Amino acid sequence: MIRFDNVTKIYKGETRAVNGVTLNIEKGEFVFLVGPSGSGKSTMLRLMTCEEKVTAGDVHVAGKDLSKLNSWRVPYLRRNIGSVFQDFKLLPNKTVYQNVAFALEVIGRPENVIRTQVPAILELVGLEDKHRRFPDELSGGEQQRVSIARAFVNRPLILLADEPTGNLDPDTSEELTSLLDRINRTGTTVVMATHDRTIVDRMRRRVIALRHGELVRDEQRGAYGSEADSPEGLGVHPVDGASP
Amino acid sequence: MSRIRYFARETWTNIRRNLTLTFAAILTVAVGVMLVGMGLMAGYASGNALDRWEGGVQFEVFLNPQIDPSQLDALGIELQTHPEIDRIEFFSAEEAYALVSQQMADQPELLAQVSPEALPASYRVVPRSVEAELIESLAAQFRQRPGVMSVQTGREEVDAIRTWFTSFQGIVLLLSIVLSGASVMLIFNSIRVAMFARRREIEVMKLVGATNSFIRFPFMLEGMLHGLIGGIIGAIAAGALRGHVEGLFSRSDILAFFRSFVVTSDQFTTVVIVTVIAGVLVGMIGSAFAASRFLDV
Repeated sequence: MIRFDNVTKIYKGETRAVNGVTLNIEKGEFVFLVGPSGSGKSTMLRLMTCEEKVTAGDVHVAGKDLSKLNSWRVPYLRRNIGSVFQDFKLLPNKTVYQNVAFALEVIGRPENVIRTQVPAILELVGLEDKHRRFPDELSGGEQQRVSIARAFVNRPLILLADEPTGNLDPDTSEELTSLLDRINRTGTTVVMATHDRTIVDRMRRRVIALRHGELVRDEQRGAYGSEADSPEGLGVHPVDGASP
Repeated sequence: MSRIRYFARETWTNIRRNLTLTFAAILTVAVGVMLVGMGLMAGYASGNALDRWEGGVQFEVFLNPQIDPSQLDALGIELQTHPEIDRIEFFSAEEAYALVSQQMADQPELLAQVSPEALPASYRVVPRSVEAELIESLAAQFRQRPGVMSVQTGREEVDAIRTWFTSFQGIVLLLSIVLSGASVMLIFNSIRVAMFARRREIEVMKLVGATNSFIRFPFMLEGMLHGLIGGIIGAIAAGALRGHVEGLFSRSDILAFFRSFVVTSDQFTTVVIVTVIAGVLVGMIGSAFAASRFLDV
């Protein structure tokens, strides 16, 4: 479903965000992408959605070679990928329902489809009774569930989550991860970049660890591990060999 | 159906959110295209007036003072019986002198130097046709006749007036180009502001896979709407101007020539169409420029 062949991404000729990464994610997998801030997790996700182009190597997503993809086809690729972010990216002037419906509206889905799909997905994420609320009337966990609903309402093949629990307390994070797990069980491939040790250790899913843009570990039923440790939020990265 | 509703809603929200800039853009478009209309109408009106004037004007066949009376009569008969000529009028040297002395009443020292004998007698000829080409060829015919000193048509005067109108039109069109340029820039900016106000929506749209054309469409529509409204206002203003100028000219005795300075309703329809299309075009260019500049994947 997602394949990286010796992928390197260099920003502005200076920073090597991703360095020679090769990996393969099969359909229906649940993968944790771990590593300290600045290790290249977000860049990996951005390469998958074609927001960034590789400097060297090949990325294949949903059977498409992204370096050969015409720019006008990129939107159609993105319809197969749902994205969830740490900051939710909800539209504050739209209700829960409108936020989710918007995702279908702007890809030209007919109204009757919208009317059946949106309530169904809101029920799946457990927000059917809050569909008239605005985002700022909801808790962080609820807002993230709206954003997951929006990402999943078009039933994409892949769901990418970039630190979705970064702004949430541990209990809410747990709930959210189990929601992603349920979505994964419908056959959707889930890639989740995270700093959340508890979740990774409890879920025991495939773990891909990055450090300085390089793939340092890829385990089928992995744990968070020490190489991914980082005093998050301080912007300090551990120097090679020195563990905090 | 949901698409049309979506586009209508988005466009309306944009316009409402950004009212002052929208207003400025629309007004600039209106003034710019009104000038386009004005230039066009000036062209039409001067054309119409000159056509009529050229046709209506008599040409004058001046005779040699030493002309033989038989030549004079022969020429008179030839002019009178010519199929292209409606009527003629003989103007003797004395009558010419009377006219000149009337014109030079306040310059007696100049008049003193003019003797009635030196002035040529003439036939004033009113042709049947109103076509300038025909009059010119008619004039050429009689220029060759014995006893004829010269033949004068209104050609030079007409040419002078036409030159004046052409330069007037040139100035108006230049102004309208400058204003249209300003309108393009204002619309460009107002669309840019609209896009900035909606950057979160745009980000989400890209995220969920809306195509570029879908994202751009409401903004293009908004720009076109600015242009269309501006164009319509400009056309109305041009119509009001037409009415005002024609009213002014029809009441004027001094400017008798200008009474024929009118635009036919067919021509005015063309002016309206051109004006409105110019407005829409300006809107399209401004918004397309903004959309392509600020909405890349």
